[in-house]
Parts: sequence; structure tokens; C-alpha cells
Amino acid sequence: MADQTNESGGEGPRLLEHEYDGIREYDNPMPGWWLLTFAGTVIFSVIYLFNVGPVGNGKGRIADYEAEMATAAALQPATPSRPAAAALLAMASDEEAVEEGEEVYQSYCASCHGPDGGGLIGPNLADANWIHGGSPDSVYNTIAVGVLAKGMPPWEKSLTPKQMSEVTAYVLSLRGTSPTNPKPPEGEPYTP
Amino acid sequence: MSATVLPPSGAVASARLESFSYDDDIVRKFLWATFIWGLVGMLVGLWIALQLANPIFNTSLEWLSFGRLRPLHTNAVIFAFAGNAFFCGAYYSTQRLLKARMFSDFLSRFHFWGWQAIIVAAAITLPLGFTQAKEYAELEWPIDIAIAVVWVGFAINFVGTMLRRRERHLYVALWFYIASIVTVAILHIFNNLSMPAGLFKSYSIYAGVQDAFMQWWYGHNAVAFFLTTPFLGLMYYFMPKAADGPVFSYKLSILHFWSLVFLYIWAGPHHLHYTALPEWASTVGMLFSVMLWAPSWGGMINGLLTLRGAWHKVADDPILKFFVLAITAYGMSTFEGPLLSIKSVNSLAHYTDWIIAHVHTGALGWNGFLTFGMVYWLLPRLFQTPVYSKRLMELHFWIASFGILLYVVAIYSAGVTQGLMWRAFDATGRLAYPDFVETVVRLLPMYWLRVAGGSMYIIGMLLFGWNIFMTWRRRPATYVVPVITAPALEKRYVPEVVTTPRPVGVWARFAAAGWHRTWERMPITFTVLTVLAVVVASLFEILPTFLIKSNVPTIASVKPYTPLELAGRDMYIAEGCFNCHSQMIRPFRHETERFGEYSKPGESVYEHPFLWGSRRIGPDLARIGGKYPHLWHVRHFNEPTSITARSIMPAYPHFLTKTIDFEEIQSRVDAMAMLGVPYGDAVNRAPQMAREQATEIAAEIERQGGPSDLADKQIVAMVAYMQRLGMDIKAIPTTVGVRP
Ligand code: HEC
Ligand code: HEM
Repeated sequence: MADQTNESGGEGPRLLEHEYDGIREYDNPMPGWWLLTFAGTVIFSVIYLFNVGPVGNGKGRIADYEAEMATAAALQPATPSRPAAAALLAMASDEEAVEEGEEVYQSYCASCHGPDGGGLIGPNLADANWIHGGSPDSVYNTIAVGVLAKGMPPWEKSLTPKQMSEVTAYVLSLRGTSPTNPKPPEGEPYTP
Repeated sequence: MSATVLPPSGAVASARLESFSYDDDIVRKFLWATFIWGLVGMLVGLWIALQLANPIFNTSLEWLSFGRLRPLHTNAVIFAFAGNAFFCGAYYSTQRLLKARMFSDFLSRFHFWGWQAIIVAAAITLPLGFTQAKEYAELEWPIDIAIAVVWVGFAINFVGTMLRRRERHLYVALWFYIASIVTVAILHIFNNLSMPAGLFKSYSIYAGVQDAFMQWWYGHNAVAFFLTTPFLGLMYYFMPKAADGPVFSYKLSILHFWSLVFLYIWAGPHHLHYTALPEWASTVGMLFSVMLWAPSWGGMINGLLTLRGAWHKVADDPILKFFVLAITAYGMSTFEGPLLSIKSVNSLAHYTDWIIAHVHTGALGWNGFLTFGMVYWLLPRLFQTPVYSKRLMELHFWIASFGILLYVVAIYSAGVTQGLMWRAFDATGRLAYPDFVETVVRLLPMYWLRVAGGSMYIIGMLLFGWNIFMTWRRRPATYVVPVITAPALEKRYVPEVVTTPRPVGVWARFAAAGWHRTWERMPITFTVLTVLAVVVASLFEILPTFLIKSNVPTIASVKPYTPLELAGRDMYIAEGCFNCHSQMIRPFRHETERFGEYSKPGESVYEHPFLWGSRRIGPDLARIGGKYPHLWHVRHFNEPTSITARSIMPAYPHFLTKTIDFEEIQSRVDAMAMLGVPYGDAVNRAPQMAREQATEIAAEIERQGGPSDLADKQIVAMVAYMQRLGMDIKAIPTTVGVRP
């Protein structure tokens, strides 16, 4: 190294001769662990870049994604089981189930169907008319798969089967109630 | 290793002695600006923190909503607070390290006033919604030009001072200043290239994947060369000054300087993991980030070990306390940075508050505390009177430290909580939290803790300001301006006389770093070498990104936005919606289940600028089109809580009352067409086309039971844009990996 002296004359770090506005610098070597860390990250990077062993991109992010989806699909039944119409009807007169259903309704459905089912963006759910059928199975099915093109979202993926049945029960229980600001009926009348 | 060089005594004796003085007035100016903008920027930070905790703080004034104020916060703290702090310390130390007054007093003042004017312009235009929508590069093109001009003035002043120096060699602090000045200029100019479409409106000349790449090449290096290297330079001057001891290792300085400058430039793509950016770029970004760990820690080691043998001083010197915490925070965030760059870690942290916690460890700890320590050290020297109160300094240190702790602990836990909630599936294979808002309201207690932590930090700022003010009040009637005498540099370098044998062997000679010593006395060469390091590294990534066609496979069904949709998109930009909503679905099951098919590079080819976003305070919007009826959007923008009771989104009732400037749409379409977007017929009749589409949408809204007077209102443009998002790709047969 250029221009260095050893302040204490022997032991201790060497102080370089130069000085800038009173600031001096030692000629200490770079810490060994630091150099090793640096070298380690460089080596890791090379290994990763060339996909050596388990280190690296592997097959890449899209292949990983497809594998993830395939695994999940294998674990799920092809057709989700649907509750029977009778069970839904029974639930519609079960106070507790309807109450649970109302809670789901208020958080997810009221924004479009109105807080009392009278209809808003979506149709009136309290009248006798149905666009997609008023039988318990049809109602369940509409809620499950939605009518995306018309602005009704599908709910099967976000609600649990229990919540699905409960909210269906609640919708069925609305029949014959009189909402404050009802939308005119749409679709065909349905008589149970 | 053993060569000893004596000072060139003969040279000194023969040199002409010159008298000069330092310009400390400019340093005082920057010091005041640092404090004032720091306080303003942090108060805005506190305000937006409140807005996230409770949306009523968005007020009913459209200028004050989160999307418009967040960029104001980031610009103010980065460019105004940290920027002025850097200039303050750089003007003080550069003159002394070079034994020369600044090259031009005029340029110094031009820099100061120009910079403050730019900040004021930012503070006015950002709330008005004038933005380029690129993070930390939001300011519109006229201001960008002003920044470039002022920055060049600064650079000339700096280089001029180096050329007039009376100190032969450049100290390490100056290397860092050089790197910062040249790199910021390069980054700023190339990222901001844009096509004006009016006085305060422009579109990035890059689109989609390439724009994203350029933006984060810039954005990451704004952190690197605006918040890191300048402050390392400051550390190298003020730390040994305050500690009154030598710097730990000169060799370490050399290696960590060059490795930082070279490696940093590559790291940008780590902001874009799992996006539509090509995977090779993402991998390169990750690896260079990992390799940055040690070079970053080189700075920390050199800073902390400068205290070797002086640790006892820390106990009763608050300035050293500030420095120690600053350097520790630097070490923490530069360890965390590489960690966050690792793809698997990033997949959890990206889009969440984790990133915000990371940023603020660095910002509040490293930048803030280094600034505080530096300013306290400068106060008695600049105002020529002892600091008003050391106890207030101590108090500032402790209250701000606890403030940081509260802030980051709360926000780290918010980030991890939300990241885990997003990816959780229940036993039946459903998303455990399908309702996005549930993952938001869970964070609210943490957001309140941040408000508390931020407030403590700001109380610290007030103590800081009080101490500055009171010290200033006790200044002498007129400042003493010491006259310095120093020998002028010889025209030619007179080599130092070597009395001991040169080291033997190539490696030994290389390790002795004599070659670097040579560079240190050639400021222009040094600057050119730095530019080379930065430019070469940049080109390695930029060229392939732009030239390899397969990076962005085209999708035939992707078409430009209609004129009305484009107007809606401009509103989305002006409101800063991208500050909370991403438009980039990553290829993960939990994301595609929640938001739909993952985003493809080809979908963004007309996106000038790209709007992928980097935060998900609200849900992703890449495929929002067709998900809800028009009326849903109308009601939602008017009052989000009427749709989702616990939503924290600001309301935009002005969309329903303000009218669209249809004629203006033509200039927007024209600018896009100039950038190569195939607009066809729209270049002649954009306003008419927009009116037609607006009428259709308004009619549909009315049909759905909505208000009847919306055909010329901004809401229809916004609805048009929303309904278009993600739709193009649905027009093609499903590709591999797309689930029916
Ligand atoms: C984004 C607004 C929106 C939300 C939220 C919404 N719906 Fe709907 N819903 C609609 C629209 C619009 C229709 C009409 C579809 C059509 O015209 O084919 C509809 C139709 C329906 C129907 C069929 C009505 C008929 O006449 O056949 C049922 C049942 C229904 N929704 C139930 C629900 C339930 C239960 C929820 C909550 C889990 C819900 N909806 C949430 C918009 C919504
Ligand atoms: C009292 C002090 C501060 C408070 C309360 C505060 C608060 C905030 C808030 C609420 C956000 C938005 C978070 C989000 O989008 O989720 C934010 C972002 C940000 N802040 Fe601060 N802040 C403070 C100080 C600072 C300082 C001093 C700096 C820099 C020197 C800084 C730099 C940033 C940056 C860069 C971002 C954007 C981060 C990103 O996009 O990833 N902040 N801050």
C-alpha cells in the first residue's frame, strides 16, 4: 500500500498517511467473514443461474403454477355436491338457518339486491317472479354459478356449502314479504 | 503492502499559497430546507397513515384523497427531505475535502432555489392529479425538465469544484457523491422520456413490460443512488468527524464502493417477480440483489468499526447515537433487501405492507437518523454557537427510536398477516378469506399503531426543529468567515517519493491498491469509470428487454382502449388508483382463484405507462371488466361503503358531477397514436366516438335503475375503463394453463 505509517509503531492497525480535512483511514484488511459472504453469494448466484440441483428456477414459474393447479384439481370432486330441494325448503322455515343466511346476505348480497331483497342493481327477490327459476334447486344454482354476463357474480367459490344453503334458505324465506322499495317483477312467475 | 511514500515536501514548498473561504451560507440554506420539508413530508405521511386507518380522513375534497397524497408523501420525503439533507452535507463536506470553495456561487444558489421551486411545483401538481403514474417519477414532463436542468447545474458546480481542488486525491465520500450525481441524472432522463399530450399530461414512451422494466430500473436505483450512496458519502465524512477517529478500512471502501455501483443497477427487476416481466430478468434481478448483501454491509462495517475504541463516547454523545442507529438500520434493511429479492420470499411479501415496513426501516432509521446526527453536528459549526440543548437531542433520539420501532413492528406484522391470509385455502380447497375486505380490516389495529409510531417520530422532528431554531437564534450578529490558505495543486502531479520496495508479485501489487490511488487523483477519469460501470451494467439488461421479441408474445385480441376508455384510464391515473390497486395477477393458485387468469405480457402492449402497481391495499383490478354491472360501479365510486360496508376506499362522488372534456380526448389519442398505438379512425374522431360510447353506457346505467343524467359525466368514462379491464384476453380460446 502506498503511504502508510504505523501510529503506535508496531502492533495495532496501520494508519494510512493521507488525510482529508482531518479524516484518516486505517489500512485494515477486509474482514475475512465479509469476503467469504461476498464470495458465497456469487457462488450461489452462479449455481442458481444454471439451475444446478435443487437450486434455481426449476422448470419456471408457469410450469410451477400448472403443477400447483393440477394438484389442487386432483384433490377436488369434479362436481360439487348440491343439497336436495327438500332440505333447502326445510331450512327456509328453520329460523336459525335463515338468520345465518341473512347475515351472509347482508354482507354479500344486499349491495345489489337491497337490504330487504326488494332489488336494486339486481332483481327483486321477494316477489313471485324469477328470471332463472324459483324452485329451490334453481335458486341455489343461480347463486352458485351466477349470471356473469348480467352482473350476478358466482358465489360457489367464495361461500362455504353451508353458507350457500343458508343464504338460499334466506332468499326462499323472502317470498311474500313486502320490501319498502320493490323493483317491478322480472321473469316468469313461479308457484311452489 | 510495504511501500512507504513520503509527502512530496519539495512540491509543497514550491507551490503558490492561495487564500479562500468556504461557502457555508448555502449549507445553512439547505439545512433549513431539510428540516422544513422533512416536517411537511412526514406530516403528509401521518395523514395518509390516518387515511388507511379510517377512510374519513380522505375528506370530501378530491385533492386530498389517498391516491393523490401518497405520491406527495414519497416525493417530499425522498426528494425534499433526503435530497436537501444530501445537498446540505455534500456542500459542507465537498468544499472541505477538496480544500476549495464551490466552483460557482451562482450555481449553488441556482441549485438551491431551483430545487425548492421544483418541490413547490410537486406539492401543487400532485394533489391536482398531474402525474405520470410511475413511482418516484410522478412529476409531469415540464417539472422533469426543470429537475434535469437543476441537476446538471449541480453536476457542473461539483465537477468544477473538483477541477479547482487543492487536495490531490479524492476521499471516499466524494466517490459516492460522484456516483450519485451521475447515476441519478442518467436514471431520471431515461425513465422519464415521454410523449406530451398537453402541458401537464404525458404518456411514457415505453409500454407494458418494457415500461415496467425501465420504471424499476429507475425506481430501485432511486433508492440506491438517492437514498443510499449519497448517504454513504455523508457517513464517510460525518461519522469519522463525530467519532474523531480514522475510518476502519480503506481497502474495504474501495471494494464495496465499486461493487455497489456495479451491482445495484441490475437489481431493479426484483420489484417485478412473478409479473409479466420475462423470467430471466426476474432471475437476474434476484441474483444481483443477493450479491448486493456483502457490498452493502461493507459500508455498515466501515461505519460501525470506525467507532472501534470509541464506543464509550456513544453513551454520552447523542450525535454518535444517531449515527450508530442509522448505520444499524442500514445494515438491517440491506440484509432484508436481498432476502425480499428471493422469489419465494417475495411471493409472500410483494404487494403487502411488508414492503412498507422494509422501506421505513431504511427511511426512518438510515436516512432520517443520519440526517439528524449530521445536522446536530453541523449546528454549532454553521451557527457558530453551541447547540441549544443536548438533552433535547437525547430526547429526540429516544422518542424517534421508539417511534420507528412501533411503526415497523406493527407494519411488519400487518404485511405478514395479509400475505398469509391471501394465500390461505381451507380444507375444501376454497380460499379461506375470499372476501378481500376481510384481509384489510384485519390490519386496521396495526394501522393505528403506525399512526402512533409516526406521531412519535414527528414529535422528535418538532424537538429537532426547536433545537435548530433556538441554536440559530443565538448565532452571532455576523458569522465569522475563516480565511483558509492552502497551496494550489501543481499543474502536474509530482509522484510521491517511494522509499520502500514495491510489493512483489502481481496480486500483492494489485492488493496494495496503488492503481486506485491513481484513479483518485483523476476526477474526470474517476467519473467516467463510474458512468461506465453504471451504463454497461444497465445495457446488459435493457438491451435484451427491448430486443428479444419472445419476451412479449403478442395476443391478437388485445386492442387499444377506445377514446372513452382512455379518458377513464387518465382519470384512474390522475386519482392515483394504482397506488392501492395492482393490475397484475401473478401465476399462483390463490391469485387466479381470487382474481382470474394470471396476467400475460401481451396484454400490456398498449399500456403507456404500465399500471401494474406495487401495492394491493385494495384488490387487483386486472380482470374487473364484466364482473359487476355498470350501476354497481356507479354506486361504488359514489360511496364505496354502500357496497362494502367495511371498505377503506375513498369515495369519488365528483365522478358523478364533473363533466368529461370530450374535445381534450383527441389530444390524448393523438399522443398515443404518435407512440405507435394503432388508433385507426380514432385519430380523426375521438370526441365523437367517446360521446357515442358514453351515451350507450349512460343508457345502460339508467336501464339498470341508476340516475339518468350521466351521459357527459366522468363516471361513464371510468365505468368504460373498468369494464374493459381484462376483457380482451377472454376473446381468445383458452391457452395452456388457463382453467375453463
Ligand atoms: C354485483 C351485484 C350483485 C351481487 C353482489 C349479488 N347479485 Fe344476485 N343478481 C344480480 C343481478 C344483476 C341479477 C340478475 C341476473 C339476470 O338478469 O340474469 C341477479 C340475480 C340473482 C338471482 C336470480 C333472480 C332471478 O330472478 O332469477 C338470485 C337468486 C340472486 N341474484 C341471489 C343473490 C345472492 C344470494 C347474492 C349474495 C350471495 C347475490 N345475488 C349477490 C346482481 C348481484
Ligand atoms: C412520520 C413519518 C412517516 C409516516 C407516518 C409514513 C407513512 C407512510 C405511509 C402510510 C405510506 C403508504 C403505505 C402504503 O401505501 O401502504 C408510506 C409510504 C412510503 N414512505 Fe413513508 N412515512 C413516514 C416517513 C417516511 C420517510 C422519512 C421516508 C423516506 C425518507 C418515507 C418513504 C416512503 C416511501 C418510499 C413510501 C412508498 C413505499 C413503497 O411504495 O413501497 N416515509 N409512508
